[in-house]
This record gives sequence, C-alpha cells and structure tokens, in this order.
Amino acid sequence: MAQRTGAKRLLALWRKAASAGVTPALAVVVTGALVGCAGGSGETTASSPRAPGPAAEGSSEGKRVDGQASTRKVRSSSESKDSSAGEGAAPGAGKHGTRIAPPKGPREKAPTAEEEAQATVANITLASPSLPPGAGGVAPLSPVYTCDGKDGWPALSWQGVPPGTAELALFAMNVQPVGGDLFFDWAVAGIDPALSGIDASRLPRGAVVGQNSFEKRGYSICPAAGSSETYMFALYALPKRLAPERGFDPDAFRQQVLAISGSAGFFPVSYVRG
Amino acid sequence: MNRKAISTSLGAALAALAILSAVFAASAGAAPAWKFEGKSLEGTETVLGAAIDSSMTIPGLTTKCEDFLYKLTIKNEAGTGKGEVTEVPLFNCTASEVCTVKAIAAEALPWPAKLTTVSTSNYIVIEGVKVSILYAGTKCVLGGTKVVVTGSAGGLIDNPTETATFNATTLTATGTSLKALGQKIEWNGLFPTEAFEWHREQALSVS
Repeated sequence: MAQRTGAKRLLALWRKAASAGVTPALAVVVTGALVGCAGGSGETTASSPRAPGPAAEGSSEGKRVDGQASTRKVRSSSESKDSSAGEGAAPGAGKHGTRIAPPKGPREKAPTAEEEAQATVANITLASPSLPPGAGGVAPLSPVYTCDGKDGWPALSWQGVPPGTAELALFAMNVQPVGGDLFFDWAVAGIDPALSGIDASRLPRGAVVGQNSFEKRGYSICPAAGSSETYMFALYALPKRLAPERGFDPDAFRQQVLAISGSAGFFPVSYVRG
Repeated sequence: MNRKAISTSLGAALAALAILSAVFAASAGAAPAWKFEGKSLEGTETVLGAAIDSSMTIPGLTTKCEDFLYKLTIKNEAGTGKGEVTEVPLFNCTASEVCTVKAIAAEALPWPAKLTTVSTSNYIVIEGVKVSILYAGTKCVLGGTKVVVTGSAGGLIDNPTETATFNATTLTATGTSLKALGQKIEWNGLFPTEAFEWHREQALSVS
C-alpha cells in the first residue's frame, strides 16, 4: 500500500517535473521507480533486490497503513529530538510524501549565450585591506568610514581587471532600496584601469565624482540611528570611456555602465549605527 | 629489574598496545556508510529529494527556490559512504522585491559527495558545488550581474527523519564553505532523502 501511495505521489511529481522540463535522465529514474511500483517486470539482480512486490489496491493518498513506512516521518531536527525514531507522527505525514510537491512553474534555466553576453560577470576580486571579514563573511564597516567618524571611504584593492579595460567605475550602494529606489552613497568614474586599488579618502588622478543620494558630491555612509544596513562597494570594468561630468547622476551613469561592462567586483560591508 | 618485573612491564605494554590497536581499529571501522533498514548498501542506489527549505544568502540578498529537487547516486566504497549529486533541477527561484532571478542553474555536475563523521555526528559533504545566478532589476545592486557560487558544503545527517541539514554550523563543523563575490555566503537547507530504485520505501540511515 505504501508503494501504491508513493506511486501516485511520484507520478504527480514526475508529470509536473516532466512538463516543466526536468532532464530526461531524471524522468527516466522516476519512470523506472513507477514501473517498479506497479509491479513491472524490470530486471533484477541478486545483489540488488527489488523492493517488495506489487502494490495492493485500495490505498489512498496521504494515508499510510504500512507499518514500516508510517514510522518514518519527515520532521524538523528539533522535532526529532523530542521523540524517538520518528514514532507517532500525525496521520498523513508519511515518509516524505507530504513534502514532495509537484514543482510549480517552469524549471529555471542557465543563462543563455545571449544573456551571458549581456551580463556583467562578478569575476573581479574587490576587497579592503582596512576591513577584515566578519564572522558571517561580511566585513563590518568601521565607524571611521561613516558619518559617525570621518565619513571617508576605506582603502579598496582589486584584482582581475580584464585586459582592454578603458576605465573603472566605482559605486557604494545600500543593498536594500530606500523609498523604493536604489540608494547611492558614492559614485566615481574615470578610474585608471592600471590601478589595483585606491587609498582611503584619497581619489586617484582623473577620477570624477558623481552626486550621491544625499545630494552631496562625494561619499557618505550614514544610516538612520539605531539601524543596521548592508552596503555594496561595486567596481565595474568598462571597455570604453564614458567620461561623465562632475556631479553626474549615479543612477543614469550606472545604467550606462551596466550596458557595456562585462566584469565587476563586489565587496559587501555591514554597519550597525548605535 | 628482575625477570618477573620485566615480564610484567612487557605484559602491560602489550596490553596497552592491544587496547590502542583496538581503539584505532574501531576508529577505522567507524567510517559512516549508507544503510537501508540497518544493512549496508551494496551496489548503488539513486536517491531523489525535494528540499523542505533552502535559501542562500549573498550578503543582504537571500535567494530561494520554491522547488529544489536533487538526484543523488550513492554507494559504499571500502566501507565508507560516497555519492554524486547528478541533477539539481530548480523551480520558481526568487530573491527580493527589487532583485529577480533571471536565470539560475547548477553547473559542473556531478558534484562528488562523501560521508564523514565529526565528533560522533555524521555529515554528508558535497564537493565541487557550482551554481550560476543571473540577477535582474534596475534597483537591484546585483542587477544585470552573473554571480557564481562555488565551494563545498557539509550537512548534518539525521537518521530518524532521514534528512540532511545544511547551515553555518554544519559547514563550519565540516570545514566547508560556499563562496560568491569573494565572500563566504550562507546556505540553509533541510533536505530529505528517498531511495528510488532497489530500496524504495526503505529507511535510509547513515552510521
């Protein structure tokens, strides 16, 4: 009976998955399992015995009466600590059955060649020698680099700028939008592609600074008091010079950057303002 | 030292050696293996599953897939459980209000897997993980960017529920990590397992 129940469930999964484009190999596996469930005459070997034979009639979805199967329930780890070996789970919560739902919608796909060509690949390593990684992997931003300190940018270093790059553009943005819009803390264009970093609070020759979302021509990281924010420093390699004017609109400039840049580096930082 | 004392000392040393050998033998024999209904798996088996919950957080941006299926081929090799993740079809993946997942796919499959024991707990370690994600959204900091997640991940096996749990604690315990954008990223997931071929409907455990 358990197998019969499993067969119905798996059939539903397979139909949905197959219609959604699950690869043929996966479909074959599921199909094979279903054939077995129905008591099909698949090949067997001595070392790999088939699961027990054909299902009995009369079982219904979600109701497991097979003793062995009914004692194997999927629960959270914390739940499992409260009882032994999965005994006594609620009726209908059979082994994985209630958890494997047919996928909804189409299967996600890998980026197409066209999408790949248009995308910016995060293949530049961007870091800050001043900001070591925190416990969770994200570097906590020192107050020195916020409005609680000098409000100047930290030193940044990078590797992996592709050959042929005409200029670099650098942004600092709030990861979470503010008022529904992308919030720019800093935007810099015209950075020499031969550089492998910038010093703290010192712009390299030729760099052009845009207006940030604080309506200030420069850098500022200043979350509301008592709030915690994640910021992203983003460096883009541009195959041609865009040459924006000082005080440029960072949002419009970024759109231009994304349209032509094939390589970027990202460095997330977090800041909790007391 | 007289002959009796030498003999006693030698006996004690041999006994200690025997105990040590037994301990090491027990350790060597304690490599975790895949078992069905308590019996070691012979040959190979295919396991399919759908994540009960799974999310991956690149700092500030959590990506989830409503349906995260996986196919794992398992076997015991020299008494130790091994395997390969051969397929990972993903469905309905989302990121945030402003960031959409334009494309996402598991790449470089199969991903080798092995069982290991750390401090009496059994883990499955998946190696060679590679997932490419293309984010979209004009207000998304990663909009228009292809991010590749790589590395290895260890998940804690829970025999009673036949699940593997992956989180920061299990990755640390197994010395594994997943990285994207040059940073360690978080991956939380609860993955049940179910045999699909010869051991269908049999309890899968690791010990």
